[in-house]
Amino acid sequence: MKRVDAVIRPSQLESVKQRVTALGVTGLTVSEVRGFGRQKGHTETYRGAEYNVDFLPKIFLSIVIPEELVDPVVEAIVEGARTGVIGDGKIFVSSLDEVIRIRTGERGVSAI
Amino acid sequence: MLKTLTNTRKTWLSRILIAFFCAHIALGAAATAFADDAKPDASGAATGDRSNVQDAGGTPFVVPAPIDPSAPDYAEAKKAYDAYQQQVAREPLAAKLADDVGHVRLGTNFAWTLQTGYLVLFMQAGFALLTVGLVRKKNAGHMMMLNFAAYVFAFLAYYAVGYAFQFGGVAINAAPSNIGGAPTMNHFLIGSGFWGFLGGKGFFMAGPAYDVSANCLILFEVVFMETAGYIIVGAICERITFWAFLLCELFVGALLYPISGCWAWGGGWLSQLGNSMHWGHGYIDFAGSSVIHGLGGFCAMALAIILGPRLGKYGPDGRPRAFPASNLVFVVTGTFLLLFGWMGFNPGSTLGSTDLRISVIAVNTNLAAVAGSAAAMLFWYFKFGKPDITMACNGMLAGLVAITAPCAFVSPTSSVVIGVIAGIIVCVGVLFNERTLKIDDPCGAIAVHGYCGWFGAVALGIFADGSYGQGWNGVGATSYLGQAGLGVTGLLHGDVKQFLMQLGGATFIVAYSFIFTFVVFKGVNAVKSMRVSREVELEGLDMPEFGMLAYPEDPVQVLTTGTTI
Repeated sequence: MKRVDAVIRPSQLESVKQRVTALGVTGLTVSEVRGFGRQKGHTETYRGAEYNVDFLPKIFLSIVIPEELVDPVVEAIVEGARTGVIGDGKIFVSSLDEVIRIRTGERGVSAI
Repeated sequence: MLKTLTNTRKTWLSRILIAFFCAHIALGAAATAFADDAKPDASGAATGDRSNVQDAGGTPFVVPAPIDPSAPDYAEAKKAYDAYQQQVAREPLAAKLADDVGHVRLGTNFAWTLQTGYLVLFMQAGFALLTVGLVRKKNAGHMMMLNFAAYVFAFLAYYAVGYAFQFGGVAINAAPSNIGGAPTMNHFLIGSGFWGFLGGKGFFMAGPAYDVSANCLILFEVVFMETAGYIIVGAICERITFWAFLLCELFVGALLYPISGCWAWGGGWLSQLGNSMHWGHGYIDFAGSSVIHGLGGFCAMALAIILGPRLGKYGPDGRPRAFPASNLVFVVTGTFLLLFGWMGFNPGSTLGSTDLRISVIAVNTNLAAVAGSAAAMLFWYFKFGKPDITMACNGMLAGLVAITAPCAFVSPTSSVVIGVIAGIIVCVGVLFNERTLKIDDPCGAIAVHGYCGWFGAVALGIFADGSYGQGWNGVGATSYLGQAGLGVTGLLHGDVKQFLMQLGGATFIVAYSFIFTFVVFKGVNAVKSMRVSREVELEGLDMPEFGMLAYPEDPVQVLTTGTTI
């Protein structure tokens, strides 16, 4: 079992979701987050005082999948989230020890 | 400890209530001492007769009996009086009908004055939205409470003494004839004749003020006072304690505004300098650029200096930091509500719709508003590359504030010019306060109301074109500057005296406001700090001061915005 986390542009969420669900992924969790990477922020002025907009709004999405789906899912996210401009985000893949479905108590791949 | 504190508070509260009650009795008794004067008409059944009838040019229906036989025009006046009396004897029904016409005329003007007063009242809502949108979410509840409490407490202060101080002697030199003249308000507490310094009738709106004409004036004027009261909110918010704010409101409603308000509008000395010193028409401020806005703005400036800037507003290098507005939707909606309310503020200041100049005033007011906003938008566009939405709104208010004094006396084109200048003044003023003076004014109250208020009163002395205001403040009723029918005139149309009067008067009022406020509250602040603690300011004032958050759903976001120190 693998867990794929991705930080993407809010505007790309819909196209990522469509591509990922087309692969048969049944669950997807998203949160609204703010942060910066290499894109950093930019400077604006408010009533004459300069300020940095450095924490930009992003979507953090998390998907848990069987091992064999990792490559197609990563590819789908890249395809859906890429605009080619700095600030497209990152994908993090990690191994997962256990998954438990709360309603039935099932464990492992069948609980995904 | 807690119990003692509560007991002390209770003792103080009861003392205040007792003092209030005693003052009511004492001042009520003082009011009845003038029982020989015109009788107050509380029912309205005795107000409005043939003496209130006049034609479009202002010539009264009733010809008064000439009093002074040595006057040069006595023979002529006597002839006119006799002719009128014969006419009345010949056509008694016409005279009787004139009584009805006079009553209806006052009714029309009462309706106008009260309705425009309600519009001004609703500016409170606009200002609350504007200011809450301009501050950080963590102080939103506090901000709304300040706006709300301003209305409540300043109103009570004005009820108790403010109205009496301001308008206690209005009938002496400045009777509001369009709404019946408030004849019972005819006593100065300090001064007399053309040198009135403080009104002295109508405390607790009782006795002589329990009169329909006086009450019509009260409703309109109390909402005006409230405007001066809430202006200060914009400059002192996000750091002032609630108790200190209440003191500020009582001060504005009971003393600061009524005193200078008496000088300019209550028939006091400043407005009568035309009669006493032959300085033009005396000081003129049609709807309050200086009397309301300049006063409020410079009071706000003094308070903002005493309080000091918000934590983190200036970095270690002294450069100002931005605390961006939390809700621009509120800011713009609030500004539009204020514009709408201003349609009562300025045209309503005629105190009567039988004065048809109201249409010109309404157009002028709108023109200055849009011109001010356009100027501010473009100024920011050129200077910073993007127009600032909050400054566009400030620009509209700047235009409105500046046209408030001259709106009745200038042409539409002059209004546009005044609006444009005000729009630029507010932009330069905001930058000057923030960068040079380093006074932290979250909503721009000082630049909008203070600077543009002062400018508006001076602009009257520049742009007034003589088309309106014949006989204003009792000067030049038949002819002015050698011209029959000439009204209030400014520098561009040849009256240097009026310009100097405006320049001096406006400067005097704003200086009075700044110094009086500064002295009083520097003292208060020395006794007990008017500012919340550092911890409270960082957390946001909502929970520590009122025990509740304006937005309990998103505390994390609320508390992380703009807390850099």
